[in-house]
Amino acid sequence: MDIGGVLAAAEHGYMEISKIELHGVLPAVFASRGAAGSEVWCRDVVLERGRRYLVSAQSGTGKSSLCSYLYGYRSDYAGHILFGDTDISTLGVGKWCELRSRHIAYLPQEMRLFPELTAMENVELKNRLTGYRGVGDIKAMFDRLGIADKMGEPVARLSIGQQQRVAIIRALCQPFDFILLDEPVSHLDEANNRLAADLVADEAARQGAGIIATSVGNNVMLTIDKEYKL
Amino acid sequence: MSNGINNNGKSGNLLWKLLRKHVSAVQMAGFSLASLVGLVIVLLALQFYIDIKPVFASDDSFMRQDYLVLTKTVSSIGSLLGSNAEFSDAELDELSRQPWVRKVGRFTTPQYRIYGSLTFGNRALRTYLFYESVPDEFIDELPADWGFDPVHGKVPVIVSRDYLALYNFGFAATRNMPRVSEGMIGMIPVQLTLSGNGRSETVEGRIVGFSNRLNTIIVPEEFMQWSNERFGAGERRQPSRLIVEVSRPGDKAITEYVAAHGYEIAGDKADSGKASYLLRLMTGVIVAVGTIISLLAFFVLLLSISLLMQKNSRKLQDLLMLGYTPAAVSAPYVKMVVAANAAVLVAACVAMLVCRSLYLPVVSSLGVAGGSVAVSIIVAIVIIGAITAGSVYAIRRRVATLWHN
Repeated sequence: MDIGGVLAAAEHGYMEISKIELHGVLPAVFASRGAAGSEVWCRDVVLERGRRYLVSAQSGTGKSSLCSYLYGYRSDYAGHILFGDTDISTLGVGKWCELRSRHIAYLPQEMRLFPELTAMENVELKNRLTGYRGVGDIKAMFDRLGIADKMGEPVARLSIGQQQRVAIIRALCQPFDFILLDEPVSHLDEANNRLAADLVADEAARQGAGIIATSVGNNVMLTIDKEYKL
Repeated sequence: MSNGINNNGKSGNLLWKLLRKHVSAVQMAGFSLASLVGLVIVLLALQFYIDIKPVFASDDSFMRQDYLVLTKTVSSIGSLLGSNAEFSDAELDELSRQPWVRKVGRFTTPQYRIYGSLTFGNRALRTYLFYESVPDEFIDELPADWGFDPVHGKVPVIVSRDYLALYNFGFAATRNMPRVSEGMIGMIPVQLTLSGNGRSETVEGRIVGFSNRLNTIIVPEEFMQWSNERFGAGERRQPSRLIVEVSRPGDKAITEYVAAHGYEIAGDKADSGKASYLLRLMTGVIVAVGTIISLLAFFVLLLSISLLMQKNSRKLQDLLMLGYTPAAVSAPYVKMVVAANAAVLVAACVAMLVCRSLYLPVVSSLGVAGGSVAVSIIVAIVIIGAITAGSVYAIRRRVATLWHN
């Protein structure tokens, strides 16, 4: 099916990205040195909706690059990435915007929150785009992650760990087929790691979505179906 | 706690809250002011030109503006030696090849005698007359009943306004005759008795217009042709007077050419043409200055937008990362630019209208009502529209480049 059809269907809410395929993908920066030992680069990898994947990596092995390719803001790679049957290199700006608000949720490692806005406003900014959550829903998530008292605080005044939780809530304010979590718990202690992991896992399970988490050591406390070494 | 989360449609407020940072009020004010000044100059110059133009044009609504009447200089020696006062075909050719000449028309003269009589009250004026004709295309505004039809036989006539003045202030005053207005004289029939070729007939003429430019009496070409065939000897005569439409009335080349060939420009009626030409030139210069200021203002705006978006590029990128479309991300800045330009447009039009109301009494004392403001306002909309379109394009392009980073 062509992507136009996929997205037209997606607008009606019944079409989804059932799987993500990587075929011989290699970041352009690795072109000279190759990717010996990697279970992702230069391989054929299929990530299925509804399953949970951990991509564990050393620093500098292209973990964030992988996320940026899947989220469509970088395309400096060789090989092919498919969403369903569609090569994502053929997608235009409008289609990526649609994917980002309806199909792929993303928690960037650097979070990319707006420090001058409050925690709630940061979440609202996403939710107003998607119209996915009610106020009660959002408050419940703040509550569940233990930062309900921080909703009205400007993000600049929150700790990194608190910011990470705000970013997780924001990422969950949309429907998704896959959620990309780039080191989601790097600044969370064990207790909060578990709270966050449970929230994401519950949401993904509710939507039947896939989880793709990366980690350089502090693994998110999820039950993983398959781990790839990058 | 600040959550207006129920207002899904109001994400624009949050976007603006985020993106208004680094919006420089000073830069926007600078643009608005410069743009306003530029636009007001353009509009005022244009409007003034439109309003004042009839002062020059009304000088003579019957004849085209940019024309000259040429004759050969009559010198006493020349006339003794029998030198020709008529223009030869070669001279006509050479003249029409001059770059400043648009069209050359010939005055046609009658080849018969004319005796005119004008009767009003119980007094009559009788005199031998002379008239000429020029091609209709040289008459700017043809009087309603211009033309001649032998069946009806009425001859419309345009006379020099000087003649009327001469009659009213000279003749009528000394002879105790009534003075007549321009309107009245149109109602007085003029009997023209044409004789030649062994015939003599009387036709009725009527004065339909007055000319400041032509120091002569003009009848329609059709009548001249008809009457010359009927009363003339049938020979072809070269014209001794020419009417020349020129492209640049103030051109020095014209006076040089005329002097070099021993021609004369009839009267000094070219002055009004020169003034009108100067008016146009000055308007052009002022409009150009205003346009340059407007252009500079546009560049200030572009620069300001560029700086602003540079400073906020990270935020704009982050919004795109959230799934906002480039159009949605551009919207706050587009709205800002549109609002500023709309304000400038309105302010400029108001300023122009206010200034106009100040000079209009002076202009109307020159006997002109003032033209329409539609042209100026359309020009203002076009200029502001172009500036807005250019800025919106710059914003969109900037966001598009952020997408690919």
